[in-house]
Amino acid sequence: MNEHYRPTPGTLMEDLDTPCLVIDMDDLDNNMDVIADTYRDKRAKLRGHAKNHKTPAIAHRQIRRGGTIGGVCAAKVSEAEVMVHGGIQSVFITSEIVEHMKIDRLCALAGQAEILVACDQAANARDLSQVAQARGVEVGVVIELETGLRRCGVREIDQGVALAKEITSLPGLRFRGVMSHQTIPDMLDREDRAVEANRTIKGVIDLKDAIEGEGIAMDIVSTGETWSYDVAAEIPGVTEIQGGSYLMMETHYGYMTEFHYAAKILSTVISTPNPGLAIGDAGVRAVSSISGMPTVFDRPGVSVESLDSDHSVFKVESGATLKVGDQVLLIPAQQDAMVSRWDRFIGLRKGKVEVVWDIQARGCHN
Amino acid sequence: MERPIFQPVGTPVEQLDTPALVLDLDVMERNIHIFQGYFTDRAAKARPVVTSHLCPQIARRQLAVGGTNGGIAVTTLGEAEVFANAGFADILLANEVVTVSKIRRLCALAGQTSIGIAVDNPDNARQLSSGAVEMGVELRVLIEIEAGMGRCGISPGVKAIKLAQKVSALPGLKLEGIMGSVPGPKGDDDPSEHDAETRANLQIVLDTKESIEQSGVGVQVVSVGGTHCYAQAVQMPGVTEVRAGRYPLMDYRLKSFLPELKPAAKILASVISHPIEAMAVLDAGHKSTAPDQGRPVLEGLEGGSATRFSAEHGIVDLEGDAQKQLNAGDKAWLVPYELGASVNQYDYFRAAKNGKLEGFWPISARGRLA
Repeated sequence: MNEHYRPTPGTLMEDLDTPCLVIDMDDLDNNMDVIADTYRDKRAKLRGHAKNHKTPAIAHRQIRRGGTIGGVCAAKVSEAEVMVHGGIQSVFITSEIVEHMKIDRLCALAGQAEILVACDQAANARDLSQVAQARGVEVGVVIELETGLRRCGVREIDQGVALAKEITSLPGLRFRGVMSHQTIPDMLDREDRAVEANRTIKGVIDLKDAIEGEGIAMDIVSTGETWSYDVAAEIPGVTEIQGGSYLMMETHYGYMTEFHYAAKILSTVISTPNPGLAIGDAGVRAVSSISGMPTVFDRPGVSVESLDSDHSVFKVESGATLKVGDQVLLIPAQQDAMVSRWDRFIGLRKGKVEVVWDIQARGCHN
Repeated sequence: MERPIFQPVGTPVEQLDTPALVLDLDVMERNIHIFQGYFTDRAAKARPVVTSHLCPQIARRQLAVGGTNGGIAVTTLGEAEVFANAGFADILLANEVVTVSKIRRLCALAGQTSIGIAVDNPDNARQLSSGAVEMGVELRVLIEIEAGMGRCGISPGVKAIKLAQKVSALPGLKLEGIMGSVPGPKGDDDPSEHDAETRANLQIVLDTKESIEQSGVGVQVVSVGGTHCYAQAVQMPGVTEVRAGRYPLMDYRLKSFLPELKPAAKILASVISHPIEAMAVLDAGHKSTAPDQGRPVLEGLEGGSATRFSAEHGIVDLEGDAQKQLNAGDKAWLVPYELGASVNQYDYFRAAKNGKLEGFWPISARGRLA
């Protein structure tokens, strides 16, 4: 873990040692304000996903700026622990937690804050119930419905109804509602996205209706992500949206121009062996290439040709120049793969360090 | 930082909390002996590249076995600092360091331990020289030669000769020799074609040594890398060291090229859902495996293969009898495709012997990219 490098506020961007993970604070605040404005008068609110930033300070900042339910989502029990220790009072773990060691940990955490967890199988609900009851805590349970990601989740409405009945009968558990995830190809047009959101989210609304038809009450319908953050909030019945990528942004969501590219890797050119070619000090370990090459920010004529583990190879078109020592900012294709490789964010405003945030849940895989 | 459950020594590995990066110490020890054994009675020695594991405890095991020249190589200045603090006395930073701030850090480190550095341009050589003089230290310099990687490195020939002459004349710098990295195999490369290509690339480095020496500048060190080129390199007179990182822990990428070495570090994952017969979902996604350069491979289950990794989930497709396996709570083993990338996502190796936990070994240089 990199305890070594923590620049003092006021340090200029050009004096930072690279590679490092920087956030433009104006862009971050813009992205938070889009959320605050979008949900101000809506019944549905954002429950921001902490897996994207892994940093309690950032979760608190969005909660204060508005538009949220006042809590966060987390992908893992250890990530939820970091959020609770960081002062977040309600955490929804959006993955199934099935192993006994993890269930013990989850139930211990439920003694500290409101904990909700996704569930797609009755045996898991029974395990959760047993431990929650023994510890004298209450765990909120949300049934996950599969709606296109081909991952976890019940496949049929009937399966979901049966599971809801089981959960309501189990001590130590409180049935809270239903959730679903979905993804779509890039859609520039908001109306198209609204149609697609209605189509993909219909399943979880049907499940809600079917469960309520059995006389079982719920208070959460959690769905949506960055691509549907605005349109999903208009679907009747939806109570929470699970967005996360909107904060830091990535080229994958580049068509959503209301959000700005806030998080980038600051890198330095270390060699210019031939005309048209420059080598940077940020590679796969710094920026990730999992969803494609990063994009060079604000340097016309320069692009990333390839990434090695610790080097980037830049193509420099004629007319553009890149010298040894020049800094290059890289925008990720997928931001949470990038963030999960770093121990801290360096927040910059107008090119100067304003804040340094530890990414406290980096490495929380379990 | 990882928040592992520090289970007691002796815990069977399959009972470890997951995802976990598990290191089989016996397999590692065997790999080290086999690979470093190739350098016994050879002029060339191994210089372990610790970037592949970032773990001082593993590097110490490597240096404790014969076949090395007693030094290590790193890729970033941050890694050099960690290993210097862990007591390593000869560190080659096989990369260019160009900014004022980092040159200062590098020279400060050279006051603490013996530091070698790669150089591929004359301006940088001058900056390193003034930094070293200012701080009263000496930096060992290897001229980096471009030898097929298309990355850093000065072109072989006149430019390289001039740079060598320049460096040998600069105060604070000690020109030790030259280095080059040659491209490794890709999965579909033909081994004999790759062999010929590797020899040709290594010859570029050796020819450059000769021409620099003819110009009257001595070249004591000819350093080439990485693991994959050892077989050619040890046979080519003039090569003095082979920088190699992947061999102690191995990975899937080099498996067919070095079949005598076995993967020693694997990711243990748990099944969290088996929603349909043909599929199980693991708790290890791309954040805990880093499949950027290739997907990890599911081990030990015929009919099962890891086919997709989203951020937090790994998907295993199941055929035939395998559909009855991998139920919620069951464990699965994944062999990393690109070791360094996977290691970079963890703070500890769960070191194990005979299937039982030996301890948590810190991956001390993780994240030290700057």
